[in-house]
Amino acid sequence: MVTVFISVLVISSIGGVLALLLVLSEKFIANYGICTVDINAEKQIEVQGGQSLLSCLVEEDIFIPSACGGRGTCGYCKLKVIEGGGLLLPTETPFLSDQEQKDDIRLSCQVKVRNDIFIEIEKELLSVRQYECICSGIEDLTHDIKLFKFGLAGSEEIDFIAGQYVQLLTPVYFKGGEEVYRAYSVASDPLNKGAIELIIRLVPNGICTTYCFEHLSIGDTILMNGPYGEFHLSDTESPMVFIAGGSGMAPIRCILSHMLNTGSKRKAVYYFGANKVSELFMIDEIKQFENDLDDFRFVPVVALPDPAEHWTGLTGLVTEAVESDLENAADYEAYLCGSPGMIEASGKVLAKLGVPEGKIYFDSFA
Amino acid sequence: MKKTPEMEKLDNFLRSSRIVAGGFMGEDIRDVDEVIVADTRSVERLGYSLEQVAARMHEITHIAKEGLGVCVDVGAGLKGCVDEAKGRIVCPWPHPASFDKRLTTVTDVESGKEITWSDLHIHLIEEHGFFEGIGSAMRIEPVKLITIIF
Ligand SMILES: Cc1cc2nc3c(=O)[nH]c(=O)nc-3n(C[C@H](O)[C@H](O)[C@H](O)COP(=O)(O)OP(=O)(O)OC[C@H]3O[C@@H](n4cnc5c(N)ncnc54)[C@H](O)[C@@H]3O)c2cc1C
Ligand code: FES
Ligand SMILES: [Zn+2]
Repeated sequence: MVTVFISVLVISSIGGVLALLLVLSEKFIANYGICTVDINAEKQIEVQGGQSLLSCLVEEDIFIPSACGGRGTCGYCKLKVIEGGGLLLPTETPFLSDQEQKDDIRLSCQVKVRNDIFIEIEKELLSVRQYECICSGIEDLTHDIKLFKFGLAGSEEIDFIAGQYVQLLTPVYFKGGEEVYRAYSVASDPLNKGAIELIIRLVPNGICTTYCFEHLSIGDTILMNGPYGEFHLSDTESPMVFIAGGSGMAPIRCILSHMLNTGSKRKAVYYFGANKVSELFMIDEIKQFENDLDDFRFVPVVALPDPAEHWTGLTGLVTEAVESDLENAADYEAYLCGSPGMIEASGKVLAKLGVPEGKIYFDSFA
Repeated sequence: MKKTPEMEKLDNFLRSSRIVAGGFMGEDIRDVDEVIVADTRSVERLGYSLEQVAARMHEITHIAKEGLGVCVDVGAGLKGCVDEAKGRIVCPWPHPASFDKRLTTVTDVESGKEITWSDLHIHLIEEHGFFEGIGSAMRIEPVKLITIIF
């Protein structure tokens, strides 16, 4: 027994020493000097070698989506490495399809910059910038949803497409806390470039939402970067169905403002679901679009209205309302925003109503 | 036994707030391995395996999910409500695994006893035997869990 114990101890100690030597040699012996990162053959940045590609880009204010802090476990930080990225690592392969591997897509947090490196980043990501935002208003919308209003510091302006999102940097607000980014869809009018409004729902024990609900005050400055995302109106004239619940209102409100700004004549119907009447919000504001837009219908739906609430609108799950109200939607495009469950359930109903899969749009990170 | 650098790294990571507020270990001073061994024993003492517990959690979440936030009857005298946020949360172990930010709250209608878990919890129990350290905001007490769901 003692011999086994000693052997285990010796083996794990040798393993430990070897791992330590590797880390130390990487840190002190390997000096990669200054390396050049060539981006889209248009821009070259000089960085200290030895760091991850993701860290180098962030240092240069080039923001690549990331949800795991660079641990190689979320798969969000993909970009194309044309040359100089070294071999594909086993930590990367689970996130990359065969096609992506053929196309030289890598996880930028796993690629170490050890020499000059040539990469390609989507144009939209290069236009992502960081903004200082001053909180100018906080309004209760329901018991667990608030509208947060921010003005951009100085005379800064943000250009975004209706439906896109920003990442909010949650500052450290408790002992042992760390800064984390969370995504929020922009809820405000895209023409109002000096401001950003977010509709945020409190998540129990959530890092960022607890900060926003319990610590953020009017006058505080926070950092956001963006815009991100492919969720926006197509440039067709097809009729549209919007389906949202809770804070999913945010991008749809922004899209409706955009339709108004651009004089859109597209036919659109918006189903907004809530469990109780008290969980509906912005009803009058969205109803006003029925007057202001050419062909728009707003259908709030309540799953379980309390008799005392005297609800006269549609009842049941939002998906049930869509199914009974819309009948045939083969020529429609669908825009979904809400919880993963709602998106999945809506997808099934829309398929039944004849909406082609390729015409059902939602944020891919949902 | 002396901790390997990997174990040390995992322990530090679980105690940090990089993935969840306050980390996964709470005030628990035990090593992760000790927490796992103790909780697995509690489960086995009640005649269940980690796989059975996780399978039942999966089953309940799957039924409750259909309610899209409205509480539904999930059978066996239990009511299940699901609360979802957009976005994914990753497993703190160094392997690729990420989950919807989904919370399932199960109530025993007769006794009123209630327990909440996230999809991440089901994975942590199934793959790592980890119910989180004592004092973690969302530790799951194995005995309480089993009493309610079986
Ligand atoms: C493209 C996009 C757009 C979005 N837009 C919006 C929007 O407009 N409005 C909005 O409100 N949200 C939006 N979200 C969601 C948002 O990004 C966050 O995911 C959400 O607000 C929760 O963040 P959080 O930091 O508060 O929670 P997190 O800290 O990330 O918590 C995540 C989950 O982990 C659970 N958890 C906490 N501690 C533990 C533990 N110890 N063990 C196990 N589980 C635990 C929590 O209960 C919660 O379910 C969007 C997401 C995406 C991807
Ligand atoms: S940042 Fe999460 S995998 Fe790279
Ligand atoms: Zn895991």
